[in-house]
Amino acid sequence: MTAALTVTGLSVRHRRGWALRDCSLSVPAGRVAALVGPNGAGKTTLLHTVTGLLTPHGGTVTVAGDVAFMAQDKPLYDTFTIAETLTFGRRLNPRWDGAYAAGRLAELGIEPERKIKELSGGQQAQVALTLALARRPGLLVLDEPLANLDPLARHDVMRALMGEVAERGTTVLISSHVVADLHDTCDWLVVLNGGRVQVSGDIDDLLAGHLMLSGPDELRPPAGAQVIEESRTGRQVRLLVRGAQVLDPRWNVRQADLDELVLAYLRSPEASALPRLSEVGA
Amino acid sequence: MIWLTWRQHRAQILVTGGLLAALGLLLLGSAVEARLYVAGHAPPGCPGRAAACWDLALALSERYDAVYTLFGWMPLMAPALVGVFWGAPLLGREYERGTQKLAWTQAVSVRRWMLVKLGVLGGLVSAGGLLLSAMVALWRPVLQREDWFGNIGVFNMVGVAPAAWWLYAFAMGVAGGALFRRTLPAMALVVAGIALTMPGLFRLSEHYAEPVRTVQSGSTVLNADDARVVGWAWIAPSGTELPSPPTGVCAHRPDTGRSGRNQEAYERCLFGKGYRYAIYHHPATRFWRFQWTEAAILAVGSVAFAGTAVRRTLRRRV
Repeated sequence: MTAALTVTGLSVRHRRGWALRDCSLSVPAGRVAALVGPNGAGKTTLLHTVTGLLTPHGGTVTVAGDVAFMAQDKPLYDTFTIAETLTFGRRLNPRWDGAYAAGRLAELGIEPERKIKELSGGQQAQVALTLALARRPGLLVLDEPLANLDPLARHDVMRALMGEVAERGTTVLISSHVVADLHDTCDWLVVLNGGRVQVSGDIDDLLAGHLMLSGPDELRPPAGAQVIEESRTGRQVRLLVRGAQVLDPRWNVRQADLDELVLAYLRSPEASALPRLSEVGA
Repeated sequence: MIWLTWRQHRAQILVTGGLLAALGLLLLGSAVEARLYVAGHAPPGCPGRAAACWDLALALSERYDAVYTLFGWMPLMAPALVGVFWGAPLLGREYERGTQKLAWTQAVSVRRWMLVKLGVLGGLVSAGGLLLSAMVALWRPVLQREDWFGNIGVFNMVGVAPAAWWLYAFAMGVAGGALFRRTLPAMALVVAGIALTMPGLFRLSEHYAEPVRTVQSGSTVLNADDARVVGWAWIAPSGTELPSPPTGVCAHRPDTGRSGRNQEAYERCLFGKGYRYAIYHHPATRFWRFQWTEAAILAVGSVAFAGTAVRRTLRRRV
């Protein structure tokens, strides 16, 4: 398993304390990784460090191949036409697939002579995405790509992205504070909370490794289980546990879903689910 | 990168080019008209040192009063405009619109992005300054003005001075954009910076060379064309220089109105009693020495500003 992105011991200090503290994570090649966390968790800071916009105070970022970045507000030059925006991409990137870029925008019905500022938010997102994809990057980094888009545009952008990823095998890192956006599309999860990496791993493995238990409140958690979150309602207790063998038949057992898993970790900042070093592939 | 530089800054390039062309036409027009005027009105033997020629030059100045007013503002305004419209937005606008996150994440490195932009635009700005200098140098003699050195305003518009000033203002604007990350404060920095640097350098220019000391016994007016006078003093008959005009030797009554009669009488009296007058000045032959000194100082400033901008840009903060 080769890593497309490896981050070790990354620390970034802002004026008011640490934005990132000793973050380590790895995304294997070909994966679509979701970077989730509450607002202010350090997601954008992490992405800016990965794309080289920010110099970290400590730690290293290693990327296999080129990185293409679509920043949060999808910045483009307002006064440029679509054609000029594509020329921008061609002039600033030696590996530029001009035929693909022109073809993709033609398919979307975005005429080359129109100006960026005349486009809708969804169309601008498509142009920004085209600019990133036509670079044929090894790693595509998207910061909140769906923010400020209507549901239809969200769907279009996500579908376009997934189509490309399936075809080219590009590694993708997408940040979002809405887990639901990334449910169907991502197969790797990174949870960032308060500037620290809490969870990093394959989504299927994570789901398989976590169980949601419910039962009468006199029950003790199963032996060897790491309790991530515990909640009591009346005489009932609900646990989200990791790495447990549940033998007691009084427990009602089911697999946790991704939302529950992410929320449970975010509510328990001291808990973590990180791969052992050998799994990182670094 | 050169395409991008042109695309993003073509408005400044075209407007500056257009203004220079318009100024060129204005100067050309006034020069042609002045030639005709001189041909029709010049007494024989002019241009020269005769009093009649002086009258002609005076008439020409009055004729071109409006052009001169424009001309008087130009040494200050032109660099300020260059800094405001070429320098300040270079980084300020990228930060304001967040487009640096697009520009600086392409395959072209930030260092190259900065160096090409600074190089191409700095080169164009310097060329514009030199073009202005050349036009002024062609225009002034037609109006029978040969004061290149003594008049600080003219001095800053000929030779290499305009190019140095324009480049300096441009670099200051870029540095302002890197520091403030906004266009407007960077523009304000340029205006304040030029307004402070210009009088500052004018004061400093007295020390670019040791002034020449000319001692006269008969007139307090220096008989050297286009010199920069930096100081003067009366010399007592004993040979010591006096810090202030001597008192109690000759009667010194204040003049009224615009007349200088009492002052002249006072000076005549002093010369009659063996006093002499020392004038410290830089002769016009020092023109190029002063030009290159000023250009070197401004070039060092430009490099410092550009260096600040590059350093702040490379030490990445979003």
